Amino acid sequence: MIEYPSPTADDLLVIAEQVWSSYLDPEGVNPLIQMPPGETPKEVSAAVSVTGAWRGHVVISFSAAASRHAAAGLLGVDYDDVSTADITDAVGELVNIIGGNVKSLLPEPSALSLPHVQTGGSGHWPNVKEICSLFGLWHNEPLTVSVLEGTSSTVEAGGVGA
Amino acid sequence: MKILIADDSRVMRQIVTRTLRQAGYEGHTLVEASDGREAYNTAKSEKPDLVLSDWNMPEMTGVEVLRQLRAEGVQVPFGFVTSEGTPEMRQAAEAAGALFLITKPFTPESFKDALDSILG
Repeated sequence: MIEYPSPTADDLLVIAEQVWSSYLDPEGVNPLIQMPPGETPKEVSAAVSVTGAWRGHVVISFSAAASRHAAAGLLGVDYDDVSTADITDAVGELVNIIGGNVKSLLPEPSALSLPHVQTGGSGHWPNVKEICSLFGLWHNEPLTVSVLEGTSSTVEAGGVGA
Repeated sequence: MKILIADDSRVMRQIVTRTLRQAGYEGHTLVEASDGREAYNTAKSEKPDLVLSDWNMPEMTGVEVLRQLRAEGVQVPFGFVTSEGTPEMRQAAEAAGALFLITKPFTPESFKDALDSILG
């Protein structure tokens, strides 16, 4: 039987650095800086759920400005030209990419949901425990990536765009 | 050549388009689909020379699109561009007839590795 150690903050950092170097900071001029644990920004959140041999969620949370920087970076447009739809699409795709890579560290078989995005929410997650989190600063704006494991037999969609 | 890019994220379709250009594949006709059903319909109607498809999409998953096309005898070269690259998924992709599976995040180099034999 294959052993699956739980993902760690270091795993999340490696995944995030791959995303940043591929899409958000290919020139290496605005890197994501890991920070000590702090308050999770609540302006824009996105989540994917994992169901199967492991059940839980991968959640990313941004300040409003960080989410706008993310959309601008992914689309290759100016910060001021980003629309709300761009932000929703961009953060949803980011959590899809990060969630897919986190899923590769978790027990199989499991399935990844489509992303859910919420702006201005409270990010309430019923029946979960946090496995690990990455706190980061990007363009001097906060963001977090968290892995939440379900503690009951069902994984509820939770408070992010459910 | 005509290339169908299927992904429910407009942002990702733009990134795939940009990466094709950065990998040196210019001058091709690109068509897009924003969910699995549209990908299937577009693959039938537009008859692309290559399909680059996300796996996890609304309406139909990418592998369902591929299986349906193959069941109907459509042999278009088909590859996945997806955030998941587990051995199980690679096995399922290959069994369904996919030529390759590129995992996100990707680079122009990973596109060249997968696509040079088709577009090069």
